[in-house]
Amino acid sequence: MSLDNNKTTAEQRRPDWAALVIAAVLVVMAGVIFFDVSRLRDMGGYSQVGPATVPDWIAFCLVGLAIWTVFAAFRRDFPKREKQEIGPVAWVVAGLIAQMVLIRLLGFSIATGVLFGLAAAGFGARRIWISIPAGIVICLAIYWLFAVVLQLSLPAGPLEHLIQ
Amino acid sequence: MSTFEFLLQGLASAMLPMNLIYALIGVTLGTMVGVLPGIGPATTVALLLPVTYQLDATGSLIMFAGIYYGGMYGGSTTSILLNTPGESSSIVTALEGNKMARAGRGGPALATAAIGSFVAGLIATLALAFVAPYIVKLALVFGPREYFALMVLAFITVSSAFGNSALRGLTSLFIGLSLSLVGIDQLTGQNRLSFGVPDLLDGIEVTTMAVAMFAIGETLFIAAQGEQAPDKVEAIRGSVWMTASDWARSWKAWLRGTVIGFPIGAMPAGGAEIGTFLSYATEKRLTKHPEEFGNGAIEGVAGPEAANNASAAGTLVPLLTLGLPTSATAAIMLAGFQQYGLQPGPLLFATNPQLVWGLIASLLIANLMLLVLNLPLVGLWVKLLTIPKPWLYAGILVFATLGTIGANPSVFELGMLLVFGLVAYVMRVFDYPIAPVIVGLILGPLAEQQLRRALAISQGDVTTLVQSPIAAVLLALAAIALILPLILRFRGRGNVLSQMAASED
Amino acid sequence: MKHFFLASILAGAIALPAAAADYSIMAPAAPGGGWDQTARTMQTALQTEKISNKVQVMNVPGAGGTIGIAQFASQQKGNPNQLLVGGYVMVGAILTNKSPVTLKDVTPIARLTGEYEVIVVPASSDIKSVADLTAKLKANPGSVSWGGGSAGGTDHITAGLIAKAAGVDPTKVNYIAFSGGGEALAAILGGQVTAGISSYGEFEGQIKAGALRLLAISSDKKIEGINAPTLKESGLDVVIQNWRMVAAAPGLSDDQKKAIAADIEKLAKSKTWQDSLKTKGWIDTYLSGPAFEAQLAKDIAATESILKDIGLVK
Repeated sequence: MSLDNNKTTAEQRRPDWAALVIAAVLVVMAGVIFFDVSRLRDMGGYSQVGPATVPDWIAFCLVGLAIWTVFAAFRRDFPKREKQEIGPVAWVVAGLIAQMVLIRLLGFSIATGVLFGLAAAGFGARRIWISIPAGIVICLAIYWLFAVVLQLSLPAGPLEHLIQ
Repeated sequence: MSTFEFLLQGLASAMLPMNLIYALIGVTLGTMVGVLPGIGPATTVALLLPVTYQLDATGSLIMFAGIYYGGMYGGSTTSILLNTPGESSSIVTALEGNKMARAGRGGPALATAAIGSFVAGLIATLALAFVAPYIVKLALVFGPREYFALMVLAFITVSSAFGNSALRGLTSLFIGLSLSLVGIDQLTGQNRLSFGVPDLLDGIEVTTMAVAMFAIGETLFIAAQGEQAPDKVEAIRGSVWMTASDWARSWKAWLRGTVIGFPIGAMPAGGAEIGTFLSYATEKRLTKHPEEFGNGAIEGVAGPEAANNASAAGTLVPLLTLGLPTSATAAIMLAGFQQYGLQPGPLLFATNPQLVWGLIASLLIANLMLLVLNLPLVGLWVKLLTIPKPWLYAGILVFATLGTIGANPSVFELGMLLVFGLVAYVMRVFDYPIAPVIVGLILGPLAEQQLRRALAISQGDVTTLVQSPIAAVLLALAAIALILPLILRFRGRGNVLSQMAASED
Repeated sequence: MKHFFLASILAGAIALPAAAADYSIMAPAAPGGGWDQTARTMQTALQTEKISNKVQVMNVPGAGGTIGIAQFASQQKGNPNQLLVGGYVMVGAILTNKSPVTLKDVTPIARLTGEYEVIVVPASSDIKSVADLTAKLKANPGSVSWGGGSAGGTDHITAGLIAKAAGVDPTKVNYIAFSGGGEALAAILGGQVTAGISSYGEFEGQIKAGALRLLAISSDKKIEGINAPTLKESGLDVVIQNWRMVAAAPGLSDDQKKAIAADIEKLAKSKTWQDSLKTKGWIDTYLSGPAFEAQLAKDIAATESILKDIGLVK
């Protein structure tokens, strides 16, 4: 994926599509807020300003900002974006997802060790057969320090039961 | 006995070698838990409180004070070095502090934070000892309408201090405000934007959000630079210690931060983070080096850190004089006091002077101990940055998630880290500032609640908002802060002013 | 060693604890709050009194305890070593948050401690008694602003019950919810609201110092050492207690339930526990067995009806 924008004369006249997408997202957010609080509109009580009033103001402002963003998109006011490499990001995201999936099943150390290994891979240390076990050992030490010594409650799995 | 004698007596007992060791243990333990992002001083103290139960009253009080200060400073360390603010009041520290660390000036940043915390803690603790009864009277005058006016002022001053583009700054702010709506509405108990998900009923935790936006977002952003980004951060450029110019730029910021932080901390609904925001905005306006703000200005670390610590001492004012726990940390301290047979309240200074002054002396000693422990370690801490990138960032992620899991072991919370980390990444790509999101998330609900409380008390009469002199003055100040830069901008712009208004839109 | 390792993996996978007398207590709140303190005090007492070898406390904060109870009911079914701390606030939170998991989905064991609600006004107020307050309330309900804790919590419910008992429409109560006791107390002391309502402990210091005037307490009978009439004596038929309890997992056999109840009774009678109650200023309102179950059912029904009256539950 490349978000690189070379500003040539031809491109100057075209809108910044990514910025238009942002504007659309803002409008969607405004819509969600507006409709979600609509069931609360009659709860003003004595203050007249009820649980729906401020959300309505915020939704209104979001729409305003969306319109402003559209103008900026056509004027191409957004700064130049640097080239983004998607591969490393995917590694890190995969690590975070793996941690989420594994933490209940296998406990803190294994799940977080896998995160450690995959994240390191995202930054160029691709030998995960070394980094994941290393991560698990580090995390087990962390678990011992924080959960066993300092009584922080961290999810335990098979490895943690060994050191308790 | 006079106030002063009580204090001296307290200091004398706190200086016993055994008690100094307890202070050292407390500071060390507090720092260890406090460095976890998402675990602020409140949780640190709550978790470690049982450790202090084993000791006698003086010993436990002093260890308790050590844990408290350690927890606070631990958060600043990780904010500066790893860009992972541990709690809402060290978010601002991360803004400039981490930029400094990346430019090889982590040493001076850590030092100014430590010394600033010490100076502010010292002044504020002494202020606590001598002017608490007067400050507390002022604090009680603040009702919902005055707080609302204060929040408006905070919004205006803070928003002018973030970002290069008015459009993107405001968009970030409103994203934060939108997210702040999620959860149970405090005044009516109705849920908003939680879509039937129970985990959203309490709203989005500020610390989770801060960790996601700063630590995770930043990690993803750096990862996306691929090979272009420099392989290693240069940990030390120039001196690891503060230079003469660093000192010259820091000391005024420390004092200003203290003056801003202490009274705001003393207000029952002030909140430490508001002091840090106002301090940051002040420093940005007064600095002679506006070009450095956003790239690592030392005042931007010194001021907010001092404000944070002064505000922490400030929260003790209502706690000790009225028995009002006005922050999570204060509530836990209250629990701690009860353990030592102290019943905070209006009579405390009269009925239990030894213990109160013992506590104040303990705070002073713990504060000093923190400095003693941390200054020599600065050199070691900054070495953390020389860890090769894969291990450094993998380690940051481990710590970021560890804090979140420790505070609330839920898969949902980890999911939020990932989602908002990705949001922050996209925002960074499009050059949206991150800090206003957090500001909106913190200030939004406060402003809304106070406004609605004020109007409920007046039964819907809007003029109530300007009928109190304090509220009127604060709102007038906010109006000036909003309009003045615009006027000055139209009348020929100086360097400082164009930077201040900083908008091409 | 190898067997031990395998056994541990098995044990970990199905979350079976190692020894029978170990307990794990869930506090459905963040560290530091009332439920957390109750859980940690129980932990200390259970261990000191050797009722249990090893006790762990786990915090699952959120939404008045409804997140904790939901997790507890679904994950600990049939596990006799798991305990849950909870309280009256949970009853209201379950209703207002429309929680699918209720107290019926766990096994309530015993009520441990409780606090009564009190009504206060600033010392400078011209309201001298509950009668003055209700007169003002009847004349113009909106002019009486009540400062207390979160909406739908014990304080709010008490304000609603008082209005109802005084013959005023509970939906007209001008209740101002503050976050946490400290903020409400500051607003009351500063004269920002007409009256304050919260548990006695929150106001005790100020009442003793003469900054607040105590109008009434929500107990059934007068409390020793507290110089105020009950709401009943003041002509309002309102009795309410903000209690804390301990519950066990759902799906236990009668024997398991009995064993836990016996342990909790030992705890409640123990010296360590009683001493902690004193230092923390908690009132012992221990109640167990069928009497507790009946009281719980009564509380739930009464709470549901008043929350409907206030308009928080439809």
